[in-house]
Amino acid sequence: MIHVFQQIFERALTRLSDSVLAYLPPLIVAVFILGSGLLLATLLRWLILRAVKATALDRFLLDSGLGSFIDRSGRLRAAVLLARLAWWFVLGIALLMSIDVFDTTLTSRVVHAAVFAVPKLITAAAILFAGYWLAQYLGRSALVWAVNEEVPMARRLAAGVKAAILFFAIVIAAESLGFAARVFFSTFVIVTGGAALAGSIAAGLALRPVFERWLQRRPQSPQPPARSLWSHL
Amino acid sequence: MAPDLALPDEARGAIENIGEADIVVGVPSFNNARTIPHVIRAIQAGLARYFSRFSAVIINSDGGSCDGTPEAALAATFDLSRLLILSTPLAAVHRLSFPYHGVPGKGSAFRLVFQMTRALRAKACVVVDADLRSITPEWIDSLLRPVLHADHDFVAPWYHRHKYDGTITNSIVYPLTRSLYGKRIRQPIGGDFGLSPRLVERYLTRSDWETDVARFGIDIWMTTVAVAENFRTCQSFLGAKLHDARDPAADLSEMLRQVTGSVFGLMEEYQSVWGPVSGSAPVDLYGFPHDVGLDPIAVNVDRMIEAFRAGCEHLDEIWSLALQADVLKAVHDLASRHLVLDDELWMRIIFDFACAWRRHRLERAHLLRSLTPLYLARTASFVMETREMFAAEVEQRIEALCITTEEMKPYLLARWRGGDAAIRFPPRAAAHAQTSDRMEVLP
Repeated sequence: MIHVFQQIFERALTRLSDSVLAYLPPLIVAVFILGSGLLLATLLRWLILRAVKATALDRFLLDSGLGSFIDRSGRLRAAVLLARLAWWFVLGIALLMSIDVFDTTLTSRVVHAAVFAVPKLITAAAILFAGYWLAQYLGRSALVWAVNEEVPMARRLAAGVKAAILFFAIVIAAESLGFAARVFFSTFVIVTGGAALAGSIAAGLALRPVFERWLQRRPQSPQPPARSLWSHL
Repeated sequence: MAPDLALPDEARGAIENIGEADIVVGVPSFNNARTIPHVIRAIQAGLARYFSRFSAVIINSDGGSCDGTPEAALAATFDLSRLLILSTPLAAVHRLSFPYHGVPGKGSAFRLVFQMTRALRAKACVVVDADLRSITPEWIDSLLRPVLHADHDFVAPWYHRHKYDGTITNSIVYPLTRSLYGKRIRQPIGGDFGLSPRLVERYLTRSDWETDVARFGIDIWMTTVAVAENFRTCQSFLGAKLHDARDPAADLSEMLRQVTGSVFGLMEEYQSVWGPVSGSAPVDLYGFPHDVGLDPIAVNVDRMIEAFRAGCEHLDEIWSLALQADVLKAVHDLASRHLVLDDELWMRIIFDFACAWRRHRLERAHLLRSLTPLYLARTASFVMETREMFAAEVEQRIEALCITTEEMKPYLLARWRGGDAAIRFPPRAAAHAQTSDRMEVLP
């Protein structure tokens, strides 16, 4: 009986030691790679922050409004942005390498998928980012214009502009990822077509009396508009 | 140095024909056929009466008018015998009209006039608006004489205007320019100036002609460059300014954007000049000031207040990026009670916008256009406050705003340099006591 227990115990111990022997070295290597990657990423970030001036890029970030968009304090420097990107890039590579060390079917698939998906993901992220920025920009343009022109429901109008552009960006991003592209595209066509039709009907109904009045007055000689003498300048 | 914009062929031909001229008078125009004949006749009479020994060229620099403005400018004539100038030999006065090149706007029109001034080696240049109804021959004398006979480089206009006319000047540009550069130029964006060839040359060498300077920003740009770079500056009394203004609400937010954008841009460029300046000094005023009658101006205060309330309701997202929290709160408080936008709050708004503009807290055009409802609130508040006041009292009121602006300059400096300063101001009563002590009303 004791012998049986001993055998079971020995087999368990062997399996455990085999597992440990099989996974410990790759784990140590993975931790080492990750640690080295972290060190390298931090070193690279430190170097970029000290060596890169990127004055022209700073100016671009300021002038385009991207700087304030990414960092609301408005004090974002291009070097900081580059340093952050480099840090995440090196760390990402280190993470993939450390996963790949284990050389299992699962890890290989993860690494493979990540490597092939990265360009698509970056493209989709860039499209979404650009869409969000454009939505913010045009939404604010619409808001300020509507308020200054005394258009009612200015904020709703601006929100509509933002939503339309964001939706458009999502459609393009989905298309580039190949993710439910047809569903998004069909929805976009239906919504845009519906909005255009509704807008046309509304404009037609609203402008009908205006045109009627205009046609009635047409034969009369136009009166010059009353001129105000007030100048702000 | 700015790349020189090519002169139109007609302009080059005219320079070859004329050779040299002592005086160049520029009249920028765009659809001013109604008023430009009077302006040209006044210039012609002024040159004949006061500068008959000087050769002169009148240049209409047109922005593509479709109402026959250039033709009207060239056809305008004045019978000089009616001036009873009997014994003075008259030098030639050429009249030219060209379309200008470049960005459409008054600044581009001026650029052509300045290029002609340089090419004709003129001793003085005058620019006057084409929409003036109150210009007289004496304006030409008042704007030219300090340049030709007193070695001044820049002659700014000094007019009597209706108390509600020129509200951007009175509520933003004059107080700000005065407190920044320490010179009391009452009409920094008046539009009618006398210039020396030295200053014209300086303008032409600058590289910012393609910016808002090409449009409504030109007047403040000219004044600021002259003042900040220590050109000899003076003012000339011109009487009343009556002009054929367009609908003031038509493109107010764009006008405000261009003017304030130019002011803030020049603040950035000349920060080393205005930083150390404190207080302000009067600027020489030539001419014989006298009272004049002015056209009444109708102002719709209710509509302005409505526009302000709409701004409060919808523009919080933008204002919160530009204004300090306590300023934003004070603005919102205004919307819920009787609207009195006092001088301190108004100038803090302007200073906060200037600092937000500098830091690109958001897209600059959005920021500056979002100032419109606040500007309308200030204008409405000013109109209500001064409704029963006479012109001299209103002038004192503007003087008080200027003094408040000068006193608040440390706040601007601290914020401009990057701090979120909490500056303590003297209590209002004390500030007003100081104001009345220090107040100086221009003659």
